[in-house]
Amino acid sequence: MEDIKAYIESGILELYVMGDVTPDEKLQVEEMAAKHPAIKAELDEIERSMELFAEDMAVEPATHLRNKILNSILTNLGNDSSFASKDEIVKDNVVAIATPKTNIFYKYAFAARLASLLASIVALVSMYNKLQDTNTQLAAMQLDKQHFANQVNLVNGELQVFQDASFKFLKLQGTPHSPSSQLTVAWSPAKKKVWIDMHSIKMAENDHSHQYQLWALVGGKPVDLGVFDKTADTTADMKEMKSIASADAFAVTLEPRGGSASPTMDQMVVIGKF
Amino acid sequence: MLALRNREKIAIEALYDMYSASLYGVISRIITDTATAEDVLQETFVKIWHSFSSYSTEKGRLFTWMVNIARNLAIDKIRSKDFKNQNKNQELENNVTFIDEQRNTVYKPELLGIKELVQTLKPEQKSILELVYFKGYTHVEAADELGIPLGTIKTRLRMAIQQLRKHFN
Repeated sequence: MEDIKAYIESGILELYVMGDVTPDEKLQVEEMAAKHPAIKAELDEIERSMELFAEDMAVEPATHLRNKILNSILTNLGNDSSFASKDEIVKDNVVAIATPKTNIFYKYAFAARLASLLASIVALVSMYNKLQDTNTQLAAMQLDKQHFANQVNLVNGELQVFQDASFKFLKLQGTPHSPSSQLTVAWSPAKKKVWIDMHSIKMAENDHSHQYQLWALVGGKPVDLGVFDKTADTTADMKEMKSIASADAFAVTLEPRGGSASPTMDQMVVIGKF
Repeated sequence: MLALRNREKIAIEALYDMYSASLYGVISRIITDTATAEDVLQETFVKIWHSFSSYSTEKGRLFTWMVNIARNLAIDKIRSKDFKNQNKNQELENNVTFIDEQRNTVYKPELLGIKELVQTLKPEQKSILELVYFKGYTHVEAADELGIPLGTIKTRLRMAIQQLRKHFN
């Protein structure tokens, strides 16, 4: 106990606190402090008062020093994670990684293009079908038009017959062989044209192996003016026959199909004279 | 403390905020030149940070450890050749103002406390504290300087600190 008090009073503890001891003395003081709580307590008291002493004469350093010193410590450490300006650089790097976004965009763009391609194909097919329909209809229309044009031409020809003053109309009457038969013939000696009126024809229908043949009698001799059929579905109104400049009479005979060189007199159905 | 060991930024900031004024007070009484004193304060904190692993709570208070680092760096600085040359090689033109600065007796409010405090000390206690604490003399050097025995130096230093303890309590 006495030793401890003497040790404290020697002043070695104060020197220890101020760092003014040899390494051997330093070790000795630390050993003593570890062994004796009184020495430890005394050391603590000395330290505390020196700390208060320093606090008492504290001088606040210039404010700019704080950042300068703290930054120099962090820079020296190379502790990049806690260094403000370094953080910003890292953030910049993160911003730069934008490639995955564009990849997604291209995926969507590709999908959109595929969809529009499919839509185009569908539209094209339906358009093609419509075009085919239209072409078919157009062909039908042209056929119709041709048909009507033909008919109009024909009717125009027939009209000319009626309008032309040079035409003479002759009603051929039935022979005793076929008393009910009748046929109207229009003849223009000036134009050498002969028409027969199929509309008002009254004759028996011919079969497939026979045809009617029109004859003109010129000076007592028969002249062939062509053949024609009388069937149930005969639609034409007028039929132009072979031309002839002069005729005394007209007659029709039933002849084998294609007609004969001279008329078969007993098969004469109608005859008329001017 | 744990944060300091883990070398976290927040630890060194807290340490600076708590102790920079006390440490700078000691440094600026050892080194009068402001720029040099600020350099020493920076060196002190860098050293504290780097050698923190060598400090252990069993060996004493944290502040004692830190203030001794600061004092040693400051005393090394004023004893270094550079610092001495710097003082010798002042240009002629600046000499007048330089000397004025060195001898100035400008009123420093922050020094008021210590003056009051140190006045509670006897002159012989004051001079020994000044030599050892602020000028970095070892007690052996101080004994030589003052021409008194080593034992007396130790006793006087102890008395001075006892006086401070009384003052603060």
